[in-house]
Amino acid sequence: MTVVIIFPVQNTTSPRPLPRSLILSILIGILLMVVLSMVPSGFFAWLWEKLNVFATVFLGIFVEAIPYLLLGTLASGLVEVFMDRDQMSKWISHRPIAAAVGGAFMGLVFPVCECGVVPLTRRLFNKGLPLSAGISFLLAAPVLNPIVVFSTAAAFGWGNMLFWRMGISLVIAIVVGLVFSVEKDSANVLRPVLNLSHEHDHTPEANASIAEKFRQALLITADEFFEMGRYLILGAMLAAGLQTFIAQSSLLAIGSGPVLSVLVMLVLAILLSICSTVDAFVALGFMGTFSFGSVLSFLVFGPMVDIKSVIMYLQVFRRRSVTYLVAIPFMMSLLAGILFNYFQP
Amino acid sequence: MPKRLYRSFQALLLLGMCIFLGSKAASGQLTYYINQRFVPLTIFGVIFLAILAQTMFSENKRSRQHDSEHDHDHDHAPASANLWFMLVPLLIGVLIPARPLDSSAFATKGFNTNSPLVSADSSAQLFETDSEDRNVLDWIKLFNYETNLAPFIGQKASVIGFVYFDETLGKNQFFVSRFVVSCCAADGFALAMISEWPQAATLEQDSWVLVKGVVKSVTLNDRVVPLIQAESVQAVPEPEQPYLFP
Repeated sequence: MTVVIIFPVQNTTSPRPLPRSLILSILIGILLMVVLSMVPSGFFAWLWEKLNVFATVFLGIFVEAIPYLLLGTLASGLVEVFMDRDQMSKWISHRPIAAAVGGAFMGLVFPVCECGVVPLTRRLFNKGLPLSAGISFLLAAPVLNPIVVFSTAAAFGWGNMLFWRMGISLVIAIVVGLVFSVEKDSANVLRPVLNLSHEHDHTPEANASIAEKFRQALLITADEFFEMGRYLILGAMLAAGLQTFIAQSSLLAIGSGPVLSVLVMLVLAILLSICSTVDAFVALGFMGTFSFGSVLSFLVFGPMVDIKSVIMYLQVFRRRSVTYLVAIPFMMSLLAGILFNYFQP
Repeated sequence: MPKRLYRSFQALLLLGMCIFLGSKAASGQLTYYINQRFVPLTIFGVIFLAILAQTMFSENKRSRQHDSEHDHDHDHAPASANLWFMLVPLLIGVLIPARPLDSSAFATKGFNTNSPLVSADSSAQLFETDSEDRNVLDWIKLFNYETNLAPFIGQKASVIGFVYFDETLGKNQFFVSRFVVSCCAADGFALAMISEWPQAATLEQDSWVLVKGVVKSVTLNDRVVPLIQAESVQAVPEPEQPYLFP
């Protein structure tokens, strides 16, 4: 996102006019000194403490996400090189319901979490994956994949939580996929992809050697790692900033009652921005304070929407589509959580 | 930016990231950021970053040879902002000294004297461990999940943690606390056990101590929590892994 500021062109003829930027920077300098002289003495120590917390939390999210982002972009690179459009249309049905269901289960084949799924989905769209299948894949894959099944089972056991987490995520993903299948023109949903295949300056011929193909795949992986890493970093900074300045306890304090507690868990899922492969262990910590339904909604919603994934979605989808991608899962997770709170003994 | 320059910067940044993560892993500071369990994944990441960096370097070499053979149009490289963003974590990692979460994070991350953290299997074996081997997390788990606390009262305890003073505490009391991290520092929260020691006032906030004493139970905010009647409190260096991993 670059902001271009266009200054009005000036036609100053006076000899040696002071450049505007110089005046501006002097003014800013004076202003800064005035402001700095006014801050209480403890301010910088406080800021330094905060900065330390920020750095640790930011690097925590970043270091945790790096391997998963690498895996996702590698999958994307391999798909680009080794898969062609004909194969895709052979495997995936174009009937909306079949496509949405198929897409939702594709996570079992591509085990990616929410950082890796975005570049991979974009690549699959580029290869002609139907819209509904791609959307279902995007939302379901971070939950419906082997790694997450095992980590959830490790935290909660092979029981209710695992079953309902998978089940509800599946339902939400398919519903949102079907909603998007109404849109026939994918250009209304996806942002135009300018140079997705720019890597093809030396287009690999059909008979290129395997080594050459892998080399191409790695080049794509690196490019996409940088492109998506940018938004991961932005999201991680935002999440770390919010965590540094907003007290989690104030959020948890309002979290009682069958409706409010679900809302609190959903907001927490957005704020925490943790990877879906490990969020079950985090959710475990809430089990005593929060009801089954609230924790379940956290586990269902968190992998679909959080700060960093929304920022990444915005690079792939048009803004209106992102609204749907956030709002429908939010409503459905909220509903699911509330239903469980009321009807679960 | 010409494509080849972009590729060079990419390669350098990938290499930088690889060295940064690799050195953190080597020094053990990786556990300031993530749960020990995920360290192997990061090591995989380090290796993969090295492979990517190498691919970028060799790609540049190839394209230079390629260009000398035929005249080649300049390809457009992706936005150079991508590169600047990748610099951010490196700068933060290098410029701000690595420090694990401590009491300065209490204000926003919250801090608990009881937190029900129990995974499906851990509770049973917890009661069998020797009482002096239990850490802060174990004791708090135990007080949360055991209905009959009688056998545990009066047991000897020996826990390590950092000192935290709070106005809710009585005279001669302090918290001995640890951060618990399930996944990464983003989900870390502090657990604290009350300790009672006549010379508590001589302790410094955030300093690491080994508290030895006898466990009692007290009621704090309507919950029964453990309290250590300290017999000795000695200063210890910060543990290599400052967090506890449930």
